[in-house]
Amino acid sequence: MTESKKTTRRRTRARSAAVPSELKPSNGDGEVKVQKAVAALEEISVSLPNPAVEKPALESDRPGAAAENEQEIPVEQLQQQLLQELNDLIARLKELSPAFAPAQFPAAQNVIEAAQGILGKANFEKLRSVAGDLLDLDTWKGAWFIANQMAQLQANTLQRRLHGEYETDEWGMDPEVLEAVTPFFEFLYRKYWRVTMTGLEHVPDTGRALFVVNHSGQLPFDGAMLASGVKLDHPRNRLVRTMFASWFPTLPFAAPLLVKCGQVLATEDNGVRLLENEELVSVFPEGYKGVGKLYKERYQLARFGRGGFIRMALKTRSPILPLAVVGAEETYISIAKSDVMAKLIGFPYFPITPTFPLLGPLGVIPMPTKWYIDIGEPIPLDGYNSRADQNLMLVSQLTDQVRGVVQKMINERLAQRKSVFRG
Amino acid sequence: MTEQRVVVVDGVAGYWGGRVAERLLAEPELHVIGLDTEPPQQGSGIDFIQADMRNPLLVELLKEEKVQTYVHLAFLGSERPSETAFDFNVMGSMKVLSACAEAGVTRVILKSSTLLYGAQPGNSAFLREDHPLNAKRNFGALRDLLEIENFLAAFRSQSPEVKLTVLRFAHILGPTADTPLTRFLRDDTAPMLLGFDPVVQVIHEGDVINALAHATLNDVPGTYNVAARGAMPLFKLAGLAGKFTLPVFHPFAYLGESFLGPQFTPIDFDYLRYPCVGDLQRMREDLEFEPAYLAEDAVREFAALRKQKAAAPAMTPQEAEEERLRVIIERRKNIRQQAASGSSTRPQPRGHPEADAVAESADSSLYEEKSQ
Repeated sequence: MTESKKTTRRRTRARSAAVPSELKPSNGDGEVKVQKAVAALEEISVSLPNPAVEKPALESDRPGAAAENEQEIPVEQLQQQLLQELNDLIARLKELSPAFAPAQFPAAQNVIEAAQGILGKANFEKLRSVAGDLLDLDTWKGAWFIANQMAQLQANTLQRRLHGEYETDEWGMDPEVLEAVTPFFEFLYRKYWRVTMTGLEHVPDTGRALFVVNHSGQLPFDGAMLASGVKLDHPRNRLVRTMFASWFPTLPFAAPLLVKCGQVLATEDNGVRLLENEELVSVFPEGYKGVGKLYKERYQLARFGRGGFIRMALKTRSPILPLAVVGAEETYISIAKSDVMAKLIGFPYFPITPTFPLLGPLGVIPMPTKWYIDIGEPIPLDGYNSRADQNLMLVSQLTDQVRGVVQKMINERLAQRKSVFRG
Repeated sequence: MTEQRVVVVDGVAGYWGGRVAERLLAEPELHVIGLDTEPPQQGSGIDFIQADMRNPLLVELLKEEKVQTYVHLAFLGSERPSETAFDFNVMGSMKVLSACAEAGVTRVILKSSTLLYGAQPGNSAFLREDHPLNAKRNFGALRDLLEIENFLAAFRSQSPEVKLTVLRFAHILGPTADTPLTRFLRDDTAPMLLGFDPVVQVIHEGDVINALAHATLNDVPGTYNVAARGAMPLFKLAGLAGKFTLPVFHPFAYLGESFLGPQFTPIDFDYLRYPCVGDLQRMREDLEFEPAYLAEDAVREFAALRKQKAAAPAMTPQEAEEERLRVIIERRKNIRQQAASGSSTRPQPRGHPEADAVAESADSSLYEEKSQ
């Protein structure tokens, strides 16, 4: 508050010095203008941002006890006084030279007013107050303090990690890395794709479950959004272990990042082991065929692998949670696929979109569509006998059945959706 | 006099043979015969016979001595595939095994490696013993082990009366052993790969000796992965061990390897890129063995000793000794705490003679020739 009042006062003084010289001789509407100016001043003082909130570190060490006492007079009273003084002044000037007509209001002022109109008063004033802060020594002291603190913290963390002083679980999941990337995915989840998640109540608080999800969107953001959703919005904030394809371990940086975030290579052994450890596992049985779909094939499920996920669930008697992601298909519009490019650079597929590879890295920015993630009713699999996972007929039947459920959920959501970007 | 079981340990002049023979000497129910082409460094009361295991008369020897158990540890380590090493390792093993079958030896214990599974992008996080052996053949020692293991499959069906115990150890680490991993960690110029950080498994050298002794003393035929609990990412391992290297972009690393050959790096780059981690369920349930060292403790001990050697002028011997002892105390405390919490079936800490032997055997170059 101290800061706010002080700034206002400073400005008030500046006006009271400037305004009379502009309006020295006046012809009546001077009074109106002054009233306008004061009204504007009032508005400004209301809409002024409170720098004390932005710079909590600085408030405590500001030596301002003396200044505070003299500012006990409320701002409104000061404004009234100023208005009175100005009106008196104008009245006196009118008596001295009644023939005087004031010059046009300075053009610069009009420009500023126009700019204020465009930018919005709050922004403009914020800018001015920031500029004022930049001239304040305390700002720099505070910035220096914070920068030092941050550098120290970063250096310590880096030092510790370079010396290997951190913990990972047996799969290589590193909680520190997971925590570090969470804000980015939270931004994508809440702000960028504005994901609406339904059916979270089907996700168990403890114990195993297998998510079976449709894959889409050229880049596997759907897995990341599902995991973020369960981590951020589920009451137990559980970690979902997404299973990734065997192409990812060959990629530098992506491979360790995925592993450190708790993701696991998609093999049957890994899945069974995770489920036996009572974890949440998500699989994308469509694989590359699903994620690399062309735009015209969107929301049509591809083949569901070879039923490995059903065997995983049967072996461990885990419930299957069918899951439909809608909105991810439109993040990139894949017009065609280039097999030659894919073979050349060793990618499983190489999509061509209106922006990629035309715009290079810029073309990789996904579109901010509105996403829905719907978690369906669990499909229990504990009614089957212990050797059911070796029954090929049963496995293929169950695979088709789950595929049907997911497709139906997608179709239902698509029928409800009105707009790709608004939902 | 009670009947003693006769155990032959070959390669006793080498590091592993010598250590295992020494360890087995402490068992009263065993009579240990050492076999090698040259006498071991210290005569330690072992019944030593100077002979080449490839000698056709090995059958006669085994028959005459009524040998029941054969611990086959003679192995020539080599980085490049070499004919001499192949002849000694692979042909030698075949001759040993056929002699054992001929002479009626009932049990043979062999030391192998989990690296034989090969580091590949499609590997599960935990590889069971029945995983196919996909290792590349460009490293001499691994190629020889692969040949031996392939031969074992045929041998099992031909001579089912000989029970084979094959212990596949993870990367071995310790203060005195000279293994690819210790060479890798000691050598700050040995490159790591930029953007790859696979989970690696290690085992302490003392636990290797204990596991081999355990397999000799108990009747546990089969193949087992043996590694310490707590696999960790490679960069964490290197950090704990005090190895600092600038990581190399992987195409350059592979290019360098193809030009300079395998001695460019002590460990093949695939193992620095993809995981190759054994599943330890069988070790715990069927072999009933649990290494005394956690992976992290083994690395910390290694790092403390390395620091002691590297910073000799900066650190007085007393300080270094204190540091080493502190690590040991910390480790034993950890073990006890875990045992107390009842979360594991870990054995109580046992005395590790090698920890005390460290000071004496600082010169591990003695073993360079014969250790893997």
